[in-house]
Amino acid sequence: MSEAFLRLVGLTKRFGGRAVVDRVSLEVTEGEVVALLGPSGSGKTTTLRLTAGLETPDAGEISIGGEMVAADGRNIVPPHLRGIGFVFQDLALWPHLTVEGHLDFVLASARTPKRKRKARIAETLRIARAESFARRYPAQLSGGEQQRVALARALVGNPRLLLLDEPMAHLDAQLKTGLLEELKSLQQRLNLTTVYITHDRAEAEALTPRIVMMEAGRIISGQ
Amino acid sequence: MKNAAVARYQNHFQSPSPRAIALFLAAVMFIAICALPAISMFGVSLTGPDGGLSIDNYRRLLTERRQHQLLLNSVLLGAGASIFATMIGAPLGLLLARVHLRGKAWRRLALVVPLITPPYVLALAWTWMAGSFAYSLTGAIVVLGVSFYPLAMLAAEAAARRVDAGLEEAALLVAAPRRVFAKITLPLIAPAVAAAALVIFALAISEFGVPGLLRVNVFTTEVFTAFAALYDFGAATALSLPLLVATMMAAIAARLLIGEQMLTGRRGSRVGLSLNFGGWQAASVALSLAVIALCVVLPVGVIAREAGGIRLIASSIKESSDAIINSFALAGAGATLAVALAVFIGYWRARMRTRWGALVDLALIALFAVPGTVTGIGLIGLWNHADWRGEIYASPLIIVIAYVSRFAPVAALLLAASVRQIPVAFEEAAVIAGASWLRTFGRIVLPQMFAGISAAWVISFIFAIGEIGATALVAPPGESTLPVRVYTLVANTPASNLAALALAQVIIVFLPLALLALFVRRSEGAK
Repeated sequence: MSEAFLRLVGLTKRFGGRAVVDRVSLEVTEGEVVALLGPSGSGKTTTLRLTAGLETPDAGEISIGGEMVAADGRNIVPPHLRGIGFVFQDLALWPHLTVEGHLDFVLASARTPKRKRKARIAETLRIARAESFARRYPAQLSGGEQQRVALARALVGNPRLLLLDEPMAHLDAQLKTGLLEELKSLQQRLNLTTVYITHDRAEAEALTPRIVMMEAGRIISGQ
Repeated sequence: MKNAAVARYQNHFQSPSPRAIALFLAAVMFIAICALPAISMFGVSLTGPDGGLSIDNYRRLLTERRQHQLLLNSVLLGAGASIFATMIGAPLGLLLARVHLRGKAWRRLALVVPLITPPYVLALAWTWMAGSFAYSLTGAIVVLGVSFYPLAMLAAEAAARRVDAGLEEAALLVAAPRRVFAKITLPLIAPAVAAAALVIFALAISEFGVPGLLRVNVFTTEVFTAFAALYDFGAATALSLPLLVATMMAAIAARLLIGEQMLTGRRGSRVGLSLNFGGWQAASVALSLAVIALCVVLPVGVIAREAGGIRLIASSIKESSDAIINSFALAGAGATLAVALAVFIGYWRARMRTRWGALVDLALIALFAVPGTVTGIGLIGLWNHADWRGEIYASPLIIVIAYVSRFAPVAALLLAASVRQIPVAFEEAAVIAGASWLRTFGRIVLPQMFAGISAAWVISFIFAIGEIGATALVAPPGESTLPVRVYTLVANTPASNLAALALAQVIIVFLPLALLALFVRRSEGAK
């Protein structure tokens, strides 16, 4: 087995004394897709938020691409320097920005020169098949379109690691199957290390052979 | 049993439902008390000296130079106060929402004091602090800015809490906190801050006590003079038209900016971005202390010093004890009746399914913006007759009616926002369970509106207890409230007496509210 790209070691997070994530250890190799499967309240989302740096761990270590980003109960590298693309469960699209505006915000934040930004935005919109509504605001988009925008925003900055938190939860079955296929081929093309949260076993199996089960804050299989 | 229920159900579709009857009665009362004074004044303003239709009053408005000066003064006062209040209030609100501070509840309570202090009291303090400089447009702008900055603060704080934490987290994954604050957080709360600025503009241009005391000529004072000195109903109303137009424009702009969310205060469960980086914490401590010192401690201190010793204060309060008790009782009765009426109007507005809802909002805002002096004159015209109306007009009841007339519209706006937060499904579930509408309303809707009703009552009470414009005009001989007494005493009474009364005014508003705030906090903590 090759060197792990994402490594969680003994990761623990408590809320009000209760360990929501309890000594979780997990290794994901480069280019691999892991589905994190478990009932609601099992600690999947918190594990993902800890990885992104949106929460501070109480104990344990996180390293990404060989770089230690969190250890000893604190975050060493802030979220925006971890090279992460994140798709939120409720998508969290910014109501005051257009689709293009979303992508431009990401690139401008990373100090990408203006000319390069344009090309990169066009490319990402094409990959996510979102060109036709690039000038619209989130409120003017359908559920499936919003999904594509959230994915485009996660991909535009060339992340090292893609994290998806039940991104298909609100979509109907047909749309879900289509988007899942697209996501799969996209991931293979970009060889992007991916962690995908779901509570739906069929969805997990459709995406990847590597399924990690969580329950009550712990990993119970697939480690 | 079953048959009776079926009959009742079928009845539901044939005769007017209890819901329709209750809302209809509320609407009739609302129109009679709140809208009729303004509507009748508008009619009077279009009547010439001979009793026929005439637009003379409005022609004078457009052609006379003095009117242009009044318009300029009014707009400068409104815009100046609004900008000044927003500059102080909006940063404070942001800090309260997003910076970790010790004793935040106490800081907020202290910072809200200027809002619950009637503006005329601050104006008095200001005259003692600034001397002759106080009697100027700038002075009035400063006083009204200080009076209303808590509105900008509360709006900014509520908006900053309402921002979905996920939106900021999504940005924190790609950008440094400062950039997230500037590009995501600020644009998301800007509409609410702008809407608050427009509300402050409307309040400032319809305010009578402050420009009256500081001898600044604006439309509201001119209305008072036109009526009190010249007894010219028509001119008085025509004079208030520019105010209404300006307020309507502000209201429309506010609605376009932030739509239905205007008055809702839902709080997010998480805060996405805490401003605990850089010097924010130190800056917020310094800013909040500076504002508390300059806008709260200093004016109240000056009033206390002018008032002299405790004995002097006690004797002044004793002399005016009738007016104090009157103020309290009348404002309490007015606020209670205004809220009782507004509960139905707010419910009706929130559950409207037509596009006319936006127009109802505008009408409510317009009614709230009618200057107190105009409402007062309208009420005189409607109630000063030699029949049963005259008996009410001669009693303190007319003051209560004036308060309901002025403050039920704003209470209705607040309560509509509160009803909107209650899912319609709650009521539908009760109806399916077989509950009558009245029972559903009383047992399901009202309990959920508790917080909104409390807030609407407190706001109506604060406005009512500081009301001068309408009260001064309609108060029956011998009946007076504290603000009116101070206003009429200003010219020929030693400063110490005035200060004692002003102090009494601050205390009688602040003490019950502070107790209420503590009580609410405790009962929330107990849950």
